[in-house]
Amino acid sequence: PRWLHCGSAFCKNKSDSEELQKIVENEPQKNDRSLVTHDDLFERTSKDSKTKASFNKVVEVFSKKDIRRRGHVEFIYAALKKMPEFGVERDIAVYNKLLDVFPKDVFVPQNFIQKMFNHYPRQQECGVQLLEQMENYGIMPNVETKVLLVQIFGKKSHPMRKYQRIMYWFPKFRNANPFPVPRELPKDPVDLAHFSLTRIANDLDATVTVYQHPLTDITETGEEISQPHIVGIQSPEQRALLAKHNPNRPVFVEGPFPLWLRKTCVHYYLLRAEPVPPEEKLEEELDPELVGPEQSLFYPQLLSLDLNRDLGDDDSFDIDEVEEGPVYAMCMTGGGDQATLAHWICRLQETNPILGRVPTFFRLEAGSGELQTAAGVQYNPGQNPQAGPEMEHITEQEAARSQGMKQ
Amino acid sequence: MSLSRTMLKASKGACEIFRRRQFQPNLVILSTRTIYERDYRRPGQAPDTRWPWQKIRFDFAKGLEGISKHFGLLKDEIVGHWVGPEGRPMLEHILEQSRVLWEFRGPESLRQWVVSSDREIGGRSETYLKMGRNNSTCMLYGTLCSVPPRDGETIYSGYCTLRSKQYLASFDRKKHLDLSSFNTLHLRIRGDGRPWMINISTESYFSHQKNDIYSYFMYTRGGPYWQDVRIPFSKFFLSSRGRIQDQQHVLWLDKVNTIAFTLGDKVDGPFQLEVDFIAVCIDNAHTEEFAYEQYKRNPEV
Repeated sequence: PRWLHCGSAFCKNKSDSEELQKIVENEPQKNDRSLVTHDDLFERTSKDSKTKASFNKVVEVFSKKDIRRRGHVEFIYAALKKMPEFGVERDIAVYNKLLDVFPKDVFVPQNFIQKMFNHYPRQQECGVQLLEQMENYGIMPNVETKVLLVQIFGKKSHPMRKYQRIMYWFPKFRNANPFPVPRELPKDPVDLAHFSLTRIANDLDATVTVYQHPLTDITETGEEISQPHIVGIQSPEQRALLAKHNPNRPVFVEGPFPLWLRKTCVHYYLLRAEPVPPEEKLEEELDPELVGPEQSLFYPQLLSLDLNRDLGDDDSFDIDEVEEGPVYAMCMTGGGDQATLAHWICRLQETNPILGRVPTFFRLEAGSGELQTAAGVQYNPGQNPQAGPEMEHITEQEAARSQGMKQ
Repeated sequence: MSLSRTMLKASKGACEIFRRRQFQPNLVILSTRTIYERDYRRPGQAPDTRWPWQKIRFDFAKGLEGISKHFGLLKDEIVGHWVGPEGRPMLEHILEQSRVLWEFRGPESLRQWVVSSDREIGGRSETYLKMGRNNSTCMLYGTLCSVPPRDGETIYSGYCTLRSKQYLASFDRKKHLDLSSFNTLHLRIRGDGRPWMINISTESYFSHQKNDIYSYFMYTRGGPYWQDVRIPFSKFFLSSRGRIQDQQHVLWLDKVNTIAFTLGDKVDGPFQLEVDFIAVCIDNAHTEEFAYEQYKRNPEV
């Protein structure tokens, strides 16, 4: 059975949440109509804590107050705005509860004229906005939402269409990310560093080593000494490359570089070397057992036959490769100062003894740096302190490099 | 003469009155509102109510350089017509398996790209474009801020785009890219873990389709290593004015206009993207024509 409804809301005077039950009885007697918005109801309820329970309570109180649900459109808009404050914007049960506020069967069109002329447009727009907020936060609606929408708006309404669109596109793009980030990131900074380093390492053989755990010590004099965590990663290939590194050329500790994981930004540091200019490149001696006329054809160790390719098939791109120096190791620390990074280098030296002979530069930018230094920035020796006793040797190299190599 | 001038002034005054009354329905035929509200108006910006002749810039130096540029391009086109299609040899056009469309080797390559952010609608994001190390890559960096501008219209904000300019032939005619012999887009990028979106816009016949954009996501891994992103063209979905459409169809590669990278992941903070090159290639193992269903979109519930 349906009866005429007026969809417009008139605002009533709302008192405290504890007396809301009394309001239900006293409604017909109260005659003063001061302009109070629905937001007030949420503010008053949540004086102590803004939780899902208090939000649900407000919605229930509104639903029970009036069988005709006068002012439900404005109430739902206010509730949608208040959801992030209560922390319930990712909860599908709360959205279903809010959708329950709409009176059922009233807005379903009954005849062809109502179907033609956008029946109850304001309520349909409100339903669409509710679903749009769900879509915005990436929440998948469930079958309860669908049942509610059919009961409230009918099968061919705008909110139902929007629901169908959400249900079509969300599953299509859910697993589109080849490097997925879990929604719940590990809280422990060491675990977070472990996860992000394995993510950027691009090598499944790379091993993560925790060089230092976070510690806060209070010494006898009462000073606080805090040790930030240091987590490093290095793969066997990088170790081999570092072993072949020319000790006359310096290596650089660069950083911090930003890495975004959903909403958190972590910073990592690199140990890398400059690209070798072509005149100093050493030809790699190929093992005669692998390639060449002496290779064994019965037990081949290296097969590079492109048997599936036609003569004209060429997948390479007609472009020069970007010259970049090799990256030898990466790390993430709590504090980005030089002392921590020097400690990292010392610990790296245990597995890579060549680091003891190679001069190490620290290129640290205050604050989060860029992935590459700008083309115009000149390398300033005064800013970067050097680790290692060969000061003059290093300054000569710098002078040679700033003239010779383009930055 | 004087009568016609006063009439012109009166009609111009009347037009100005009509221009100011934008939010009331315009019942008089002699109004110019339909002309200056034809193009997209950024929310919060007043409509451009200049007369057509006020929009053209008359300048002698500009005329001279225009003549030299356009006739030079015309000469190149005529000469290129004898070499082969699009100015490249016929064999190369037929047999090529990969083609580099945009590469960033040198600062003049940045002039082909336009950077935009929500600053145009009143937001607070900042976006800058510069050359990377050794002038061999481009770096798009900046900060996003998703606080919406307070103009009463916008709800969401916080985006930035890097869009390639439309190729222009002589006399500012649009030149389209013909990528019909390829089926995969190959990009070499280095991001910082943020998810980007690639938008390709094509030339369409009807004016309703002028905001049609084919998009797909580009997820960056972050880290110091370059990332090769390969996206087949069959994965691109159709959207218009930011809303994904119900009637989907495959991206037609014969008249591609521009490509763009967008970032709008509702996360405030700095971002960086380095692009090495953008190329297209053929992936013979990819036989999919279109990734999304094309049947009638009005299913019974």
